[in-house]
Amino acid sequence: MSDEMEQRYAQRMKRYVTAMRNEKPDMVPIRPFVAEFTAKYAGYTCQEVTQDYEKAFAAARKCAADFDWDAVVANMVYGWSGLTQAIGLKYYAVPGIEIPPDTGFQYREPPEEGAWMQPDEYDQLIADPTGYLFNVWLPRVSADVCATGEPASYRNNLSFLKGGMAMLQYFGDFGTQAALLRSESGTVSAIAGILKAPFDIIADKLRGYRALCMDMFRQPDKVLVACEALAPHLLHVAASGADPDRNVPVGLWLHRGCVPFLSPDQFEKFYWPTLKQIIEGLWEQGIQTLFYAEGEWNPNLKYIAELPEQSIIYHVDRGDIFEVHKAVGHKFCLSGGVPNELLAFGTPDQVRDCCKKVIDGVARDGGYIMDASAIIQNDAKVENIMVMTEFTREYGVY
Amino acid sequence: MSEQEKPKIEPGVCIPWEEKRKEFSQITGDEELVKRVWEEVDALGYLYIWQCLLSF
Repeated sequence: MSDEMEQRYAQRMKRYVTAMRNEKPDMVPIRPFVAEFTAKYAGYTCQEVTQDYEKAFAAARKCAADFDWDAVVANMVYGWSGLTQAIGLKYYAVPGIEIPPDTGFQYREPPEEGAWMQPDEYDQLIADPTGYLFNVWLPRVSADVCATGEPASYRNNLSFLKGGMAMLQYFGDFGTQAALLRSESGTVSAIAGILKAPFDIIADKLRGYRALCMDMFRQPDKVLVACEALAPHLLHVAASGADPDRNVPVGLWLHRGCVPFLSPDQFEKFYWPTLKQIIEGLWEQGIQTLFYAEGEWNPNLKYIAELPEQSIIYHVDRGDIFEVHKAVGHKFCLSGGVPNELLAFGTPDQVRDCCKKVIDGVARDGGYIMDASAIIQNDAKVENIMVMTEFTREYGVY
Repeated sequence: MSEQEKPKIEPGVCIPWEEKRKEFSQITGDEELVKRVWEEVDALGYLYIWQCLLSF
């Protein structure tokens, strides 16, 4: 790596980490979560970056080299259909197969009666979550994996072999990608490791949101105990994938905790206790969490404020970022706040005005990272992303 | 977590070493080595299923 690039990397890492500790760096760091936008910019379809992750990696590196960004996710498209097809996962809709080639991949939720986890299976999940996932969940979500007691098939055996090898290859190549981002453009890999809230896991991948809503009334104690049973595993997986140097945070993708999916009482009772426990558990190990609050989370700010100072970077999507800053800005670094619809349909002047307003309103004392409200997909205009970047660089100097 | 809430099978484990150990009538050499390698490879199985759940 050239000295110049290494110096740039060190400077960007310092800027990014300083802001994440809610302190004032030399300038506002830029860390856009660019997903399918990278494909659009690099000239690929969504099908190409979803099916061929080398193209997704190349697109992310091209963006990192062309834009003056401090940190990016190595592959924010993230889903790789080579792996999901090796396992035979049924809930993935793949661009170019089930959906148009230039539509980002989708998760499909089954009807309530066909939920991946049935309503009478909570006790099985609670008793042994890992065993439940292997023996009950995986055979249901995979077209190839045989259920316990069924004769093993060629496709069953291959799904484990190919799925395991593919996962090893894919995750291993993330390491190479991070090294290339560093050496080619001096760009920091923005996050390391993955976390989801126990309630979200049940909603997204087990019972489905609609069925879980009924469970909160019909068998609330089971839902609570299931969240408690999942929590130590989710903490373990998050800590296992965390940055050993404790510089960059674990990514926490929050789905059903926002308004209007849960009432405030439901949030307090079902969603928050185990999630809080996990975040605090990570922080005890010196691991920050990128709290990616998708949707409108402002009604939950009083709970967020309970978390230890600096333990999270609070990412703002639909919430009013100025209210967020008033409520928790003294404790946590904030990111986001530039609406995706503005990046897709607005003019460069409107984007510039919005960035100025956000920087003036929440970034005066540091502790802010420039980003869109949600992940940036292929509807964002290139010129608007350029303006967001260039304006922040010019105006966001301390 | 309280003692009562501790999971029966610890995070990071699919088949605990104690269960696997019963399959050997004897271990003539370094049992700790056998145990460590069993646990390290077992953890890959754990990683596989939890990453399927979380990441894909």
